[in-house]
Amino acid sequence: MISLVSVTAGILSVPELSIPEGVTAVIGPNGSGKTTLLRLLAGIDLPEQGTIRIDGKPPRECNSGWVDEYPDRSILFPAVLDEIASPFRFRKIPGDEIDGMVRKITERMGIESLLHREIRTLSGGERALVSLATACAGDPDILVLDEFDAHLDRDLCRITDNLLKSSGARYVLRCTQRMAMAASAACVIYLEQGTILHSGSPSQVFPHLAGTEFFPLQGLAGI
Amino acid sequence: MRLLLQDVRAVRETWSLAATGSFETGIHLVTGPVGSGKSTLALLLTDLDSPQEGRITRDGIHRSVLSLQFPEHHVTGSSLAEEIRSWGIEPEPVLAAAGFAGREHDDPLRLSQGELKRLHLACVLRVPSDLLVLDEPFSGLDPREKANYCAAIAECRTQGITILLTHEQEYFPPVDRIWEIQEGKLVLLGRPAEAYSSWRLIPSLIQDLVNAGRPPRNLSREAIREALCRTRE
Repeated sequence: MISLVSVTAGILSVPELSIPEGVTAVIGPNGSGKTTLLRLLAGIDLPEQGTIRIDGKPPRECNSGWVDEYPDRSILFPAVLDEIASPFRFRKIPGDEIDGMVRKITERMGIESLLHREIRTLSGGERALVSLATACAGDPDILVLDEFDAHLDRDLCRITDNLLKSSGARYVLRCTQRMAMAASAACVIYLEQGTILHSGSPSQVFPHLAGTEFFPLQGLAGI
Repeated sequence: MRLLLQDVRAVRETWSLAATGSFETGIHLVTGPVGSGKSTLALLLTDLDSPQEGRITRDGIHRSVLSLQFPEHHVTGSSLAEEIRSWGIEPEPVLAAAGFAGREHDDPLRLSQGELKRLHLACVLRVPSDLLVLDEPFSGLDPREKANYCAAIAECRTQGITILLTHEQEYFPPVDRIWEIQEGKLVLLGRPAEAYSSWRLIPSLIQDLVNAGRPPRNLSREAIREALCRTRE
């Protein structure tokens, strides 16, 4: 369980929040504090006040993976291979073991063909995939993705949604503008102007959003 | 007005794109898998890059504008006001319309991706152009903003040629033609209703409606809602 108590940071104010294991979708208008919340959970930023615990530990003591909403900002190295290998190299794992680990993660994600490319030749969606592979490479307990799916096509959204459900990370926290994806998450958090207005399972949250653009039309279709 | 592509080929290390076709006045949607060359096509269409082979003719097109996939790549100003002025337009109306009133001194690169996209689109749609190419215009926008900008595109782009290249699955302005990059080749699928059967990356909501025997007349939110209501009868 992830718990937040009396947390404030920038426009965000969270008196109390618990997040269960599994995939959690963070939704809400642009500028509502989604990225602020995710950066706290990934341990990138510290709250001005309050306490955040992930299974009893502060975020910075957890093994976490992060994908930025600007894909270029997550990427450190000019070559795809170096980027995906970097979490292993930072841990000083022997080089011959790293090759196998990199191959495993790229195969799982179906991006073997990108492995010998340079980042600058990749499309926006391909950069997002490389960022995700790198974030997953370190076997994180908590995986935090900030609108990682904004540059993916329909099929890649489907493939990565499934991958993330079985990523091995105990917690996957992602903000998304795809309400159909949010409707399939274990937990949904709806933010507006820095305040969490609704959180819980999709069937608890979405009825509150009926009539807004945040309500998935698939839910209306009955088809 | 017409943008004509004759035997155009762009060749890169790991892929190539072939394109023949004519973009007439109206709103065009171009879809295609990740890495199929949509952003390269956007550069070719706006004359910012040249194809290795073939010809692109621009009949009656005097001013082209390209909106890049990543709005941060457009930023040249160190404040929102300066950034808006760099498009040759007055800041105040744009700041007010895009929801940034009173924030003219903010740094554009401190905005979230969605906010920066919102500011950028507000600028792009105010600049008069014969050809407007929008590469992933809605990525990072929340659903309300997507709906607003679809309406704005329909309203501002009644003349000229507008080409949207996108993975968007739910929000579209009313479009005149749908194109798709299939196996390295740009293919004209046709008007919305006639394009559905051959559209490989058809959004799942539209596919569901087609399967239910209620294909939407167009891709706009209104047309989809109308088709959904028909379904529920």
